[in-house]
Amino acid sequence: MVGGTEARDHSIGGFFCFGRGMSAKHYRIGVMFSTTGSYNVVARSMLNGALLAFGEAAAESGITVEPVVVNPNGELARYAELSQQLITSGIRHVVGCYTSSSRKEVIPCFEKHDALLWYPSHYEGFESSANVIYTGASPNHHVALLVDHLLSSGRRRAVCVGSNYIWAWENNRILREALMTRRGQVLAERYFAIGDIELQQVVDEILELRPDFVFNTLIGTSAYSFFRLLRAACVARGIDQPKQIPVASCSLSEPELEEIGAEAVDGHLSSSVYFSSLATPANTTFTEGYRTAYPHGPVVSADAEASYNAVTLLIQSLADAGTDEVHSVKAAVTRQRLAAPQGDVWIDPQTLHAWLTPRIGRSTRDARFEVIVESAVPTRPDPYLVQSSPRYALARTPELKVVK
Amino acid sequence: MTAPRLLQNFKGSRALIVTTNRVAVEALESTLAKLGVVSEFPEIRDGRAELDLAQLDPDRDILFVDGDLHEGLGLEGGPDGRLSAVPVIGLVGVEAPSRLKSLVQLGATSFLRKPVHGSAVYMALFLGVNQFLLRGALRARIEDMERRRHGRRFVIKAIIRLMSHAGIDDDAAYDLLRRESMRSRLSLEDYCEEYLRRGANEPMRLAQGEMPEKRANRD
Repeated sequence: MVGGTEARDHSIGGFFCFGRGMSAKHYRIGVMFSTTGSYNVVARSMLNGALLAFGEAAAESGITVEPVVVNPNGELARYAELSQQLITSGIRHVVGCYTSSSRKEVIPCFEKHDALLWYPSHYEGFESSANVIYTGASPNHHVALLVDHLLSSGRRRAVCVGSNYIWAWENNRILREALMTRRGQVLAERYFAIGDIELQQVVDEILELRPDFVFNTLIGTSAYSFFRLLRAACVARGIDQPKQIPVASCSLSEPELEEIGAEAVDGHLSSSVYFSSLATPANTTFTEGYRTAYPHGPVVSADAEASYNAVTLLIQSLADAGTDEVHSVKAAVTRQRLAAPQGDVWIDPQTLHAWLTPRIGRSTRDARFEVIVESAVPTRPDPYLVQSSPRYALARTPELKVVK
Repeated sequence: MTAPRLLQNFKGSRALIVTTNRVAVEALESTLAKLGVVSEFPEIRDGRAELDLAQLDPDRDILFVDGDLHEGLGLEGGPDGRLSAVPVIGLVGVEAPSRLKSLVQLGATSFLRKPVHGSAVYMALFLGVNQFLLRGALRARIEDMERRRHGRRFVIKAIIRLMSHAGIDDDAAYDLLRRESMRSRLSLEDYCEEYLRRGANEPMRLAQGEMPEKRANRD
């Protein structure tokens, strides 16, 4: 165990000291993203979003904050080690993690030391640790609006394609329940190993089944390959893919659109609480500030905005509480109301998840999203889907038996 | 038999938490609230919980019982917990076999360790309630099987009677009785009993509701 010294060695962030000079209270904040490794594209945009907020919010808050940046390199074991090092070096607040598996890995450490993890990504729900502030989207922010939109455009029959892990399994379960309670239908559910790009077979199956839409929970390179293969197969058969078999996703963001490439980038639906094309003054400031600070990308994503919001809320709460003691900061964060790039954001006192504004975007040729549906007001987070899921789980197969 | 459906959303349920150690169940109460479950704490007077088990509703109520309370809360179930009218989840402090035994006898189908940790609550609720439902379904199944076991002699008698009246072999008689019992939506045993009672020579169609004292064959 090396402790704080090593944690500081990783630091690439500056020392943000504005406003009231040396008399101001000073806090060190952990920042933990895998800016190398298999999901580095989104994680780098999250780090950028976080660091941007450190500069802006500290200037207004009257406190000084010092980001201590560490990189677990996408390795699960490193997450727990680095969390332990950050916390034992005296840090009480860490902004970080992208995948659910990494968050689950570090939570015991935060609970043991009573530190606070500020988790800035969308996830599948069914968790509410008292040592985590969840600033990304809850499952009810993703699926409900998407199902409403698809059904109201007469699309009832789905094929689900996903990466073989909890995010895809759980989202497909939620989609299936939402569809089936409203007379929709799931024609097929197919899973592939993370990183698998040999997806021609499922593309052929989709063209055979001709669903009204595809629900995509593939991540990373698998998703980019799937979009390209599906589009190519449709073009070859004279099918207008975005109109006839649109692909709807819950996690597709702008940096990923750029990875798909020009041939297949347009016409995809994404359910998200943030798109970089939003025309709010706060978003204009955010995207311009981001572009100036990080001209070489990756471009802004929903998770970058959630990281930006997490750090801003954290600094506001530290200033409000006058201490970094966890109990006080948790009380303070529920008093904050943030004019975020996506609109007003605040933390629900019961679940410590964020109230956010669900939207649906359709991707354009220039790798951005145009917003086609938008909730009028921020929606309450419902991590356990208490308000929307049916009382009983749906039976997968009808219980019938053969009689003479 | 149709397996009971899995209950996954507990919104609208009521948790009755029988404990004197409110500090140990703080996280239980706050997590239940997130799950849409309201918590109530029945009073414990002279070592007895102020709780009328007969008034509890198995579709709504879930009982949490602290295993460290002195036995004799007035909640005792049968030796195999079969009297529990609602799902019971044990709150465990001392892990001694005698304590665990008393919780099992109350009908506990899952356990939470004290002090309760929030992340264990949904799992304990999911397991406890669904095991309770499964146990109830299995119990009903066993009772039904027992009843039908007692009805075997009517089946044998009916087959023999039909064989002699219709001049057919036992397989044909059985098939005929079985088919008519299904058409009448009765168990084979109930059908045969009624067939004998009426002294009919030919199997007859019985309309549903003609035998109100019998359960229709639902499996």
